[in-house]
Amino acid sequence: MTGVAGFRSGLRAWLDRNDLSPGDDGTLDGQVAQLARVRRALYEAGWMRHGWPAEVGGLGGPAVLRAVLGEEVAARGLAEPGIYSMVEVLVPTLISYARPELAAHAVPLLLSGREQWCQGFSEPGSGSDLASLTTRAVPRDDGTWAVTGQKVWTSLAQYAARCVLLTRTAPGHGGITAFFVDMDAPGVTVRPLRTMHGVDEFAEVFLDDVRVPADRMLGRPGDGWRLAMDLLPHERSTCFWHRIAHLYTRLDRLADETPVPDDAALGAAYLALHTVRCRSHATQRRLDAGARLGAETSVDKVLLAGAEQLLFDTARDLLPGVLELSGGPWRPEYLYSRAATIYGGTAEIQRNIIARRLLDLGQE
Amino acid sequence: MDAADRDLLAGTLRKTMDSCTGPRLDAALTEIGWPELLAAEPRDAVAAVFGLLGETGAQAPLLNDVVLAEAGRAIGGTLPLPYAGGSWVVWERTGEGGGLDAELPIRRVDPGDAVPLADGRRALGWWLVGSGRAMLALARAHALDRVQFGRPIASFQAVRHRLAETLVALDGAEATLTADTGDPGSPGHELGALLAKAAAGRAALTAARHCQQVLGGIGFTAEHDLHRHVRRVLVLDGLLGSARDLTREAGALLRPGRPAPRLTQL
Ligand SMILES: Cc1cc2nc3c(=O)[nH]c(=O)nc-3n(C[C@H](O)[C@H](O)[C@H](O)COP(=O)(O)OP(=O)(O)OC[C@H]3O[C@@H](n4cnc5c(N)ncnc54)[C@H](O)[C@@H]3O)c2cc1C
Repeated sequence: MTGVAGFRSGLRAWLDRNDLSPGDDGTLDGQVAQLARVRRALYEAGWMRHGWPAEVGGLGGPAVLRAVLGEEVAARGLAEPGIYSMVEVLVPTLISYARPELAAHAVPLLLSGREQWCQGFSEPGSGSDLASLTTRAVPRDDGTWAVTGQKVWTSLAQYAARCVLLTRTAPGHGGITAFFVDMDAPGVTVRPLRTMHGVDEFAEVFLDDVRVPADRMLGRPGDGWRLAMDLLPHERSTCFWHRIAHLYTRLDRLADETPVPDDAALGAAYLALHTVRCRSHATQRRLDAGARLGAETSVDKVLLAGAEQLLFDTARDLLPGVLELSGGPWRPEYLYSRAATIYGGTAEIQRNIIARRLLDLGQE
Repeated sequence: MDAADRDLLAGTLRKTMDSCTGPRLDAALTEIGWPELLAAEPRDAVAAVFGLLGETGAQAPLLNDVVLAEAGRAIGGTLPLPYAGGSWVVWERTGEGGGLDAELPIRRVDPGDAVPLADGRRALGWWLVGSGRAMLALARAHALDRVQFGRPIASFQAVRHRLAETLVALDGAEATLTADTGDPGSPGHELGALLAKAAAGRAALTAARHCQQVLGGIGFTAEHDLHRHVRRVLVLDGLLGSARDLTREAGALLRPGRPAPRLTQL
């Protein structure tokens, strides 16, 4: 991968000179503010623009540069990796589906840390069965669309200026239509949800007759399902690489802190991380070579979720009492790892996809 | 070797392995150029040959050659090889064995001299993954054929998820085998091989467990091929270090102030 080594060494040197370390505000407000600060600094220095096309304010180059940047950000603990990586699904969506002028205007706002965006897919009645969603968008005589419905588990909705929103405009998979909605539009109400790990990262979003201009539609009517499917390759290449880099830092921290080094347990966690790292590496090589990623990335997803949960289970075992009795980061991080088999398509849904699409086992 | 070369090689190897096994396969592979291939393209040669030994269920004493070659010695003979639990074994070039996998002429010997392990571990890793794929193919075919409660058992989610789990383990292990973890002689090369053997051993044992279950009673008979693969992976897992031993060895590297090696770079 040409140019990657040079990019990495330049980036490292720059980060050594420009300290972006977070303060000690571990609240979600603090994390989001830190994320904006990191994005702004990296954008201004150009790092954040590599790997994105010039049409949206990028500097071009292969997507793998974004993976390298995110790996460095995660390795240094500069930003919470989950929310850092959200751009990796949101920006490609805009590039592929928004009007070029809209993408050119909006993407730099996100990349430069001036805005946060969210992804409104899941609904109270539609989680794994996303295609059953019922938030309705109805065309009006004045050319706008009226959107009414409810979204749930929408990460960062309470901070977001915009939302990539899936709505229903007709029955079936082909009746799902996506919009790029301003979160300050009249009729949008956000109610943060308490999460079990105490970092209330997601919210319910209520949409009551929200007017959305027609030119905010992403793609054409009925393109929403394809848009949702097209996200997966992005989520499962660059984002995963970031998360894996983050998890390695937690393995190191565990080895540093455990009073009872149990080689079998530490080794198993390391092996699981190494395995998903190798798999993710191969996936990115394929992407880089122009391959279209598909159902095989469900393998990456199962490996990653499994590695993450094994790592934090091991942390709990080898740091007895710490997450139960002491404060500190292990408790929320352990708890958050429980969601790894839920978000982004549950572990069961991934296995269904593998059985159907990769093993060709026919209908359930 | 490019993709077309690899396909060609795989085709030739598969045909050979389908037609004979043991000493005859050993001889046939020598005939079609295994020694030269091992010398010229060790990585591709080992991946192709050992992966297909697993997939076809054939066997040949080629692990000796891989270890001998890495030690810089002449191939074609045998040497004592470490086995799990501090045992040592020799894999004879002819004859039969009396172990769990009676096809393999492996017997215990007195401890031998230390041998290089990286290439042999990768070879065994490929063999284990190949055997796992053979078991998965058998279980998949059975799941589609076998009808219970009026439908193929492949339609039951519990069956589907076991097979999916098997594929995940095998594909993960294969990724550790193909990853470039450093040039021969580097610490990353050694550790990468150790981790790959551990991942492959685990994956093969996972495959054995799930596929056996999906095959039900038929998979427990000696008439069905499954048991040959099950025996094979149990034996191969112990050679040059079992998944369990190697995982512990990897864990011992992780100590305060010693970050876990990040072995493959973008
Ligand atoms: C931390 C977090 C952040 C999230 N962020 C976002 C976000 O930003 N935007 C967004 O749109 N969504 C988000 N989600 C929602 C997430 O995508 C859904 O939670 C997920 O798709 C599962 O849907 P559900 O919660 O309704 O569970 P359900 O679909 O009701 O599933 C419940 C259980 O049933 C199982 N199940 C369901 N169907 C099947 C089946 N066919 N076969 C076998 N088992 C099945 C599931 O595997 C699961 O174990 C987030 C979730 C979490 C936990």
